[in-house]
Amino acid sequence: MVKAISEGVREETLNNAYSEERANNILEVVMAYARMEFHHKTKVTEPGDVFDAIGAGVNMLGEELENSTVSLKEKEQLLKEVHHRVKNNLQIISSLLNLQSENIVDEKFLSLIRESKNRISSMALIHEMLYASKDLSRVKIKDYIVKLSQSVYQSFYTVDFKILFQYEIDEELHFEIDRMIPIGLILNEIISNSLKYAFPKKEGVIRISLHKKENEFELQAGDNGIGFGDDFDYKNSKSLGMQLIHMLSEQLAGKISVSNKKGISYGLIFA
Amino acid sequence: MEIPAHATEVTCFHSWIREDGVACTKVKAGSEVTVELARENSNAVNSLLQTKKRPLLVDARGIKSMTRDARNQFSTKGRETQTLAFGILIGSQVSKVIGNFFMGINKPAVPTRLFDKEEEAIVWLKQFLRE
Repeated sequence: MVKAISEGVREETLNNAYSEERANNILEVVMAYARMEFHHKTKVTEPGDVFDAIGAGVNMLGEELENSTVSLKEKEQLLKEVHHRVKNNLQIISSLLNLQSENIVDEKFLSLIRESKNRISSMALIHEMLYASKDLSRVKIKDYIVKLSQSVYQSFYTVDFKILFQYEIDEELHFEIDRMIPIGLILNEIISNSLKYAFPKKEGVIRISLHKKENEFELQAGDNGIGFGDDFDYKNSKSLGMQLIHMLSEQLAGKISVSNKKGISYGLIFA
Repeated sequence: MEIPAHATEVTCFHSWIREDGVACTKVKAGSEVTVELARENSNAVNSLLQTKKRPLLVDARGIKSMTRDARNQFSTKGRETQTLAFGILIGSQVSKVIGNFFMGINKPAVPTRLFDKEEEAIVWLKQFLRE
């Protein structure tokens, strides 16, 4: 009787040790899959008990996970490639415009070329930043606006220019390409207009702010320059820049307003 | 499930056609089926079914493992097949998991059902002989 009980206890202990070992082995493999290490496999032994069944299921799940992960990485790579190519193509267009303008002395024509180049660059910059971003779909808007404004400034820069840029942009704001393109083009126009017309003495301040207010975003951009002349009707202006600002605001389903006091300030509210 | 003497044998399977016209393939005990072994069996079964499309009884009770590529091969998706339907016989705990996983994830392109009784599988498969 005592011998039978003792053998029973021994068998139970062995069973417990076996169960623990098998369960631990399966858990280790599950943890490896969680770390994206898919070469691990659980043991599946000949008798085919419940641990083998669970192990077989875990192994197959690992294969499926590995396959999905690989597909995802391939898609990411593809998207990265697309951003890279779009950026390169836009830069090629920009270079072509440069070549086109090489022997031109007409200031008006050169100015048109520069405006076109800046519009192209504002879009190329988005693709460049998306290419370098982690999730390939969103960019920190503050970084973009700073780079964009500096790039526009560079294109107008002459040694006597003393323009100060002031930014007040929420650090945590990240936007997708659908919003970035119109915002970039709008800012490009506003900054270009300021640099072209606002500062006859080549000195001044350009301010850009962007904040989230409840479910909307408020973009303010303007300067402390000389402002519009009294006869300037910005709503009905036929200049391409102003038309673009209105058209792109509509694209963002936004409301644009313009203030002509102590310089020009544009306000855009969009969702 | 008796394997007749005239059955075709490949690395992990025996395959034959029953007198009632249902095709059969039986996994050898302890088989670890890779895509190469799955293709070898698909070729063996297709050569048996050259002249006529038939339903197929798959006795998977002895299986130990099957890779993802092998499951895709058996799902018949995207390839020509002579098989009208799969009746998969499961019995061991491992074969139950593999069978259910195959049904749930790899979703075969032809009608497929799992059975734990051979007779029920044959009754279900025979309906495809009449179509």
